[in-house]
Amino acid sequence: MQLLLLAVLDGLAYAAQLFMVAVGLTLVFGVLKILNVAHGSLFAIGAYTASTLVGLIGTPDLSLIALALAALAVGAVAGPLIERGLLARIYDKEHVLQLLVTFALFMILEDVQKLLWGVKPLFEDAPVRLLGPIVVGDIYYTAYQLVLMPSVAAASLLILVWFLRRTLLGRTILAVTHDREAAQAIGIDARRVYLLAFTIGAGLAALGGALAAPTTSLVPGIGVQMIVLSFAVVATAGLGQIEGAAVTALLIGLGRSFAVYFAPELEVVVPYLLMVAVLLVRPEGLFGRSELRRI
Amino acid sequence: MSRAILRARGLVLAFGGVRAADGIDLDVLEGEVLAIIGPNGAGKTTFLNMVTGYLKPQAGSIQFADREITRLSPRRIVRLGIARSFQIPQLFREHSVLANIALALAAGGDFWSPHRPLLTTARETEAQALLQRFGLADLAQQRADALDEGARKLLDVAMAAALAPRLLLMDEPTSGVATAQKHAIMDRLIPALRQQGVTVVFVEHDMEVVARYADRVAVWSQGKILAEGPAGDVLADPTVRRDVIGLEGAAC
Repeated sequence: MQLLLLAVLDGLAYAAQLFMVAVGLTLVFGVLKILNVAHGSLFAIGAYTASTLVGLIGTPDLSLIALALAALAVGAVAGPLIERGLLARIYDKEHVLQLLVTFALFMILEDVQKLLWGVKPLFEDAPVRLLGPIVVGDIYYTAYQLVLMPSVAAASLLILVWFLRRTLLGRTILAVTHDREAAQAIGIDARRVYLLAFTIGAGLAALGGALAAPTTSLVPGIGVQMIVLSFAVVATAGLGQIEGAAVTALLIGLGRSFAVYFAPELEVVVPYLLMVAVLLVRPEGLFGRSELRRI
Repeated sequence: MSRAILRARGLVLAFGGVRAADGIDLDVLEGEVLAIIGPNGAGKTTFLNMVTGYLKPQAGSIQFADREITRLSPRRIVRLGIARSFQIPQLFREHSVLANIALALAAGGDFWSPHRPLLTTARETEAQALLQRFGLADLAQQRADALDEGARKLLDVAMAAALAPRLLLMDEPTSGVATAQKHAIMDRLIPALRQQGVTVVFVEHDMEVVARYADRVAVWSQGKILAEGPAGDVLADPTVRRDVIGLEGAAC
């Protein structure tokens, strides 16, 4: 029974982290129609920057603020830089080329991380220690992972949905998502919408990384694992489905966690088995809708 | 006599060996309703696409209200006062009819206040009034993808009208709807647009519609303007009747 509870708690914490990254990926795909492989690098850079900033500040009381600042800085700098400098030049190109360009960017950013932070593991858990443990049943768990991370993930989901559905700017983003030509025909500046959506997506990836940083040792390659898992979440939900990504992040987070405790040999493959099972039945994803082909 | 609000001179655009525009000269007069007719592939939509910035001519120039617009982007052109509707209505399918209009009303304004709602009281009132004029008031809460083709056409034009344009280009506003519905659509559109003081150019294949609603007609053929003038005169022209309208017998 205790093992079951532990699996649920682990799954919840992991799902929150997964959702933060996946929701940015699905937002960027939904609006820009580009699958950004370098999204995993933004997660990693967010994580490294957060750890460095927490270490530099040195005061545990300010460590949570340091995480938020790191995410904000990475999103605000890397987002516009990548979108304006690179993606804006390939919107009208083939999907294969877009994929290759973001993959090349991912490879470059991987080396940039090694250049800046080296290859030695980096670990800075001041934010976890700051919030201390909480007890669930007989289990001691970190409040950081069980309360803060899911709360931030839930708040991100609610704010994003409110922003997209209720505000003029959000509805404008959705309008460009649904039909770029129609949006341009009424004078909407699609380029600014793309810039904004990508920056939000980059910020969410960096926030996911910053939140994950105090819970794990940072080593080269953490971005790879995260982008692959995030892609599984996004594809299972249906590309561009924000609320759907929350559900599938939970599904995959719990699936992976149950595998860790009850079938460890399946830990790595469970997320992908879930994805394949869903896509075999619903190729457009659990929450996706098949598009009518325009002729 | 009205002055020209749009002046196209020597427009040339070829797609491979096909010259979709082969030296187009056309003045659109302020306040008129001008119909563009001609067979498929004559270059009518190409002309609309050049005026609205979706295609750039290889030669020639386009002036709108005495301002050169030939190389401007579609968005800049919209902001200068030229709106358009499409043969296949370009709607935000998952938004309600009201939200479609509200987005168009807001499009020229400031989008960058992240908390500001789409449907403010003032914007909703304005959108409802516009829907009333275009006969769509009862459908305000329906999703755009649930509308029939006639309502979709009306909504497409209503969205263009929401931009408060000086010139509105409509690409086949009655295509894809039953003959009986065509006049109903145009009976809604033309008075609403005239009331707004908008100059209208529309591409049309149905000569009954053209005869009834156009002040002037320009006849397109193989990228050139074959004839141009008052609707009655052009539609009675023997060459136009034989070569473009396809009526046997040159006489009216």
